[in-house]
Amino acid sequence: MKHLKPANKKAAEYASAADEGREEEVRLMQTMVGCTATLDPGWEVDAFGGVAALCQPMEADLYGCADPCWWPAQVADTLNTYPNWNADAPSAQRDWRKLQSVFPEET
Amino acid sequence: MKRMSTKSIAVLSSALAFLASSVADAKDFLVTGIKPDKLVVVDAAARKVDKVYTIPNGGPGPLTITVSPDGKTAYSVVNRWESVSGIDLETGKETFRVDLSSEGERVKIMFGMDISPDGKELALYESAVKLGLGEYEVQPTRISFYDTSNGSKIRSIPAPRQVTVMMYSTDGSKLYGMGRALYVIDPANGNIIKENKTQAWDRANYYPPDILDVWSQWEQAGIFSTPYYAARSDMSLEDPAAYWTGMLTLDLKTGDFNLVDVENTDIFYFSTVVSPTEPHIAFGVYNNLAKLDMKAGKSLGRGELDHSYYDINISSDGKEVYVGGTMSDISVYDTTTLKKIGQIDMPDGANMGISSMRVFKR
Repeated sequence: MKHLKPANKKAAEYASAADEGREEEVRLMQTMVGCTATLDPGWEVDAFGGVAALCQPMEADLYGCADPCWWPAQVADTLNTYPNWNADAPSAQRDWRKLQSVFPEET
Repeated sequence: MKRMSTKSIAVLSSALAFLASSVADAKDFLVTGIKPDKLVVVDAAARKVDKVYTIPNGGPGPLTITVSPDGKTAYSVVNRWESVSGIDLETGKETFRVDLSSEGERVKIMFGMDISPDGKELALYESAVKLGLGEYEVQPTRISFYDTSNGSKIRSIPAPRQVTVMMYSTDGSKLYGMGRALYVIDPANGNIIKENKTQAWDRANYYPPDILDVWSQWEQAGIFSTPYYAARSDMSLEDPAAYWTGMLTLDLKTGDFNLVDVENTDIFYFSTVVSPTEPHIAFGVYNNLAKLDMKAGKSLGRGELDHSYYDINISSDGKEVYVGGTMSDISVYDTTTLKKIGQIDMPDGANMGISSMRVFKR
């Protein structure tokens, strides 16, 4: 690895793994990284094509769906990646303004 | 054998009478979780919060909760669903803890947790992933058993994928797992003793049913129940009359498994509970509260709720149901009139979210 410089994070992982003799563990991911592959319609529409059978109000369902990663595309993943996303907002109906967008962290 | 004296018979009689009155006088308590890390005990009849305990590393909130048969300890899935904490319901002390993940392996548990009827083993449905440097490797699902006296693992057995809730038979000889079928599992070795068919049912003129069951509440009647939703294959799917709601029940004492349609699907229920005094009657909750007759196969009435609720449970006398989960109140409804008769607010308006709401007596 003397003459090659890692150009991205994956390559850097490979370089450090090679130094540790663990290069076999660095492979192409075959599946989504996250706690679920679910992509439910979520808040948009219910099974009848309307909205009456969605949770009422939406805040009633927010943590019940956010915490189990039911809507991983819409809200932060508190199980693995953003564990403290709603830690300061125990009441969704009162504290929703504290809930912020999340972005991948630079490492 | 020595003959008992009149005095000793009198002492024994009074002791038995005291025991009987203690059982009869035992009160219903509810236990649930609120965000971010609290276990809440509610005196159901008094309509008030009795105790609030903090669970160490309990975020983002207690999920599935199981109470020991003696009513002394509540086991909660916590720590981003990688740990189980046992909290003494009198003192609030953590008397049991298992942390499942280890270096290189992340283990999650969700809704599959139950305690053996003798209180000695806690069964957990585990989903493990090996964390390599560049790849995650999903491991086979398994059920592991932990010694409630010290938290040590006793054994693991293989288990089918996609199991949500799990419950012991009343005699402890079987474990039931609700997944693509309702599996009957030998807790000693993981052998599938029987599959009660759901997804693969061979019911004429019906498509396979949808079942989403993640809430545990069978302790009052000893009968597991969940709603199912199925469409008729001999009717146009454009016709709303083609869609049916039914009740799946499993008697944890006898193993009797039943499926019965109860109404045309125009609303949903997230969870249901069977009455301990009228075992053919069930109550369903979500945006409505409904009373369902599983013998006649029909709804006996319904009422709209103040907001959505996930969980439902029922008093020991069958006279009132408790609806909870989602936001920050447990509301009480009369099982005859379906009218609201009480409300218990959670501390600081904290949400219950998807936490269980169990009944125990003491």
